Amino acid sequence: MGRYIVRRLLWVVVLLFLVSLITFIVFYAFPTADPAQLRAGRQPNPQLVEQIRHSLGLDKPWYVQYFRYMKALVLHFDFGRSYHYNVPVRKHILDAVAPTASLVVGAAVLWLVSGIAVGTISAVRRGKLIDRLSMGGALVAISAPVYWLGLVALYLFASDIGKVHIFPGAGSYTPITDDPVKWFTSLILPWIVLAASFAAFYARLLRGNLIETMSEDYIRTARAKGLRERRVVLRHGVRSAITPVVTAAGLDIGILLGGAILTEKVFNIPGVGMVAFDSIQNADLPIIQGTVLLGAFFIVIANLVVDVLYAFLDPRVRYA
Amino acid sequence: MRRSLWSIIAALAVLALVVAGCGGGGKAKKGGTVTILDTEGGVDSLDPGYWYYQDDYKSLGQPTQRWLYGWKPNETTPTPDLATALPAVSNGGRTITVKIRSGIRYSAPLQTRTVKAADIKYAMERCFLPQVGNGYYHSYYGDIAGADAFTKGKAKQISGIQVPDATTLVIKTTKPIFVLTSGRALGMPCTVPIPKDYAQKYDKGKTSTYGEHAVFTGPYMVQNDGKGNITGYEAGKTLTLVRNPKWDKSTDFRPAYFDRIEFKGGFDATVAARKTLTGPRMLSGDYAAPPVAVLKSGLSSRKSQLVITPSGGNRYIGLNTRIKPLDNVNVRRALSAAIDRTSLRQTRGGPTIGTIATHFFPPGIGGFEEGGGVQGPGFAFASSPTANVPLAQQYMRKAGFASGKYAGPALLTFADDAPPAKETAEAFQSQVGKLGFKLKLREVPHATMLSKYCEVPKAAVAICPNFGWGADFFSPQSMIDPLFNGKNIVPTGNVNTAQVNDPKLNAQIEKAKTITDPAASAKAWAALDKVVTNQSYFLTWIWDNNVGLESKDMNGVPSKFNSGEWDLTFSSFKK
Repeated sequence: MGRYIVRRLLWVVVLLFLVSLITFIVFYAFPTADPAQLRAGRQPNPQLVEQIRHSLGLDKPWYVQYFRYMKALVLHFDFGRSYHYNVPVRKHILDAVAPTASLVVGAAVLWLVSGIAVGTISAVRRGKLIDRLSMGGALVAISAPVYWLGLVALYLFASDIGKVHIFPGAGSYTPITDDPVKWFTSLILPWIVLAASFAAFYARLLRGNLIETMSEDYIRTARAKGLRERRVVLRHGVRSAITPVVTAAGLDIGILLGGAILTEKVFNIPGVGMVAFDSIQNADLPIIQGTVLLGAFFIVIANLVVDVLYAFLDPRVRYA
Repeated sequence: MRRSLWSIIAALAVLALVVAGCGGGGKAKKGGTVTILDTEGGVDSLDPGYWYYQDDYKSLGQPTQRWLYGWKPNETTPTPDLATALPAVSNGGRTITVKIRSGIRYSAPLQTRTVKAADIKYAMERCFLPQVGNGYYHSYYGDIAGADAFTKGKAKQISGIQVPDATTLVIKTTKPIFVLTSGRALGMPCTVPIPKDYAQKYDKGKTSTYGEHAVFTGPYMVQNDGKGNITGYEAGKTLTLVRNPKWDKSTDFRPAYFDRIEFKGGFDATVAARKTLTGPRMLSGDYAAPPVAVLKSGLSSRKSQLVITPSGGNRYIGLNTRIKPLDNVNVRRALSAAIDRTSLRQTRGGPTIGTIATHFFPPGIGGFEEGGGVQGPGFAFASSPTANVPLAQQYMRKAGFASGKYAGPALLTFADDAPPAKETAEAFQSQVGKLGFKLKLREVPHATMLSKYCEVPKAAVAICPNFGWGADFFSPQSMIDPLFNGKNIVPTGNVNTAQVNDPKLNAQIEKAKTITDPAASAKAWAALDKVVTNQSYFLTWIWDNNVGLESKDMNGVPSKFNSGEWDLTFSSFKK
């Protein structure tokens, strides 16, 4: 297992290198805007634009620019400076990781607990009223766009602009180190909104798998051995049916750690998604590059964690 | 009859807006913390040399720094700030002498130092450095003697900026420049004092990092550790201003009521607008007008919390005169007659958002009244609030299109991909369709639209429907020269998007720039306004308003100089 993990970690490096190269080519060879001109501000004269292009090294071939970028990144962990804000990219992005992690981890707990619970109950009570209600609700939650759901939640429950003043509204995010209580309360609405569609999707996924699993021979055997139904469902049924849920959760959490753009935007949580959104609006290529790399990093790490988890969930899986 | 009725309505509308724009009611209350809700990132730099946007002036320029000349909220001429008086002009307008106040202190870590004329000289010189990235130095300071040699690296200083003693700044120009002799172009942040020995180390390298270590002279400063490191700024997220203990109120014209100013960025525009209207102690941030839905509900139920001010700018549809059939003036006039300006205005929120334009100059600019005022110079094709298709067809026939309709290939058009500009472009597309014009409409992000297409002549874009322009310091020069002078056609960042290069017009512009008598200057620029309106290089459709939102307990004061954005040094809580 140890060798497997080391090998996978080496692949992470290769993958990140490839992602950086592709991102670089996409954004530097086919830029959406001229960085030198953006840096030069409104109404720049051509001489200034050219001077800036030269000083930023943008007049060099793309592979030279890429080499310089990677050199600074590998040797100094330096992502460069933002074209728009003229601040170091590394600090700008890393400062945004904690808010995103707070949002995603909390939401993931919520959607996993509720999704697994609802999916299990629906599968066990298949065709009953509770199953129909749960799956109907899940369909609504999947269909509701996150941005819309977020705005509705704010207009209904936010303490400032809501009809019923219950939860802190947009822009109230407080770092856990500053005030743990405020941190928790400020994230309740965002957690619910972000978790809603994922919980619904996971419930449906688990329900389908569990129904299929519960008709397997080994389940019948377990029942024949006289095991209690709860044990049959949880230890034998859910444990087997949950594998696709773990795969999906790993990937989803990895993707979201790279930025839950819509939720962060609507609740104004200063996370990686907001940074990415802002940088795309401003065609701020160094920040775009940094957020893409960070996103890719989380996805490959999440994939690795999922693969390792498989071994624990399914005794048949062993890695050489 | 229709025309005169329209003129009266327009005049009344402008009057109403100006009255509304006087801002807030109630007496000012000193102290407290105000919160400004931004939808985007707010300021884009902490470096005074880079500031050239309304947000920069509002959030940092006015509250944290003192310029050579400042701007009182309701005035259109500069007020001496670091200077003791308006410039003394000699040598036929070629020498400008400014006396500097003594005893103005910097914030920490330079708290023991006072502002010297040499600090302003360095501040102006560093605006020429590429690592600072200033956007206007060449427009206003390019004719200072020795500027060219400095730009080309042939001189270490600009010889035309001299400091005979600690409180005297002398600027020598190669020809009389009205924007300098009148002090207007010295009322820009390039005159924020920056001590050379402190800042020079930060000005080396690819991009200056001075902003992260800036020192302040204004009533507020960005929160910092007192050792030259800014702590109250997270790019795109928050900006916190606190009182500058070294600011001496007795030497400043600004009351500076608040104790603390907090900017919070990244809000959804609708959420920010609602929070501001329903909550306490808030002012709207970096959006010129709230989303249309909030604007409508605000007008019906919270009108007193909307502060409407003419921005001193306009909105227009850019036509590229190098592309057929837009090279034909009658085709351009036909398009001008065919657009429904009222419908276009509706896409941004209706009458509150601006007055239908009758010529290029917006109200408040020198030359506006001389150019016909609200009624305009009398060009029927340029001033109709609704589409005049018969008139448009007449012009099409004059242009050689016998049917009165265009039958050529579709015209490449680049527009913004976000509302409300997107809706404006789509409305325009539908309107000109009546004249047979087909558009290849491409919608892209705003920055891409400008820097890759509309402001790049090589991209050969025919029409850009989402332009707007605002003058710096009420100067008609800054409305005309960048946009219509042939010498300003450049490969990138080209704001002369019509690509006008008429030698007669160029000469007329150059001549107008050197007229230092205000009345004669206004007349000369008004004549140019008439020319560009008659040529229909751009289809001007509104003179813009800025719509600010304030909480009930706020007394927000808009700044005319800064396009109607709040002047936070005059705004306050209500008593």
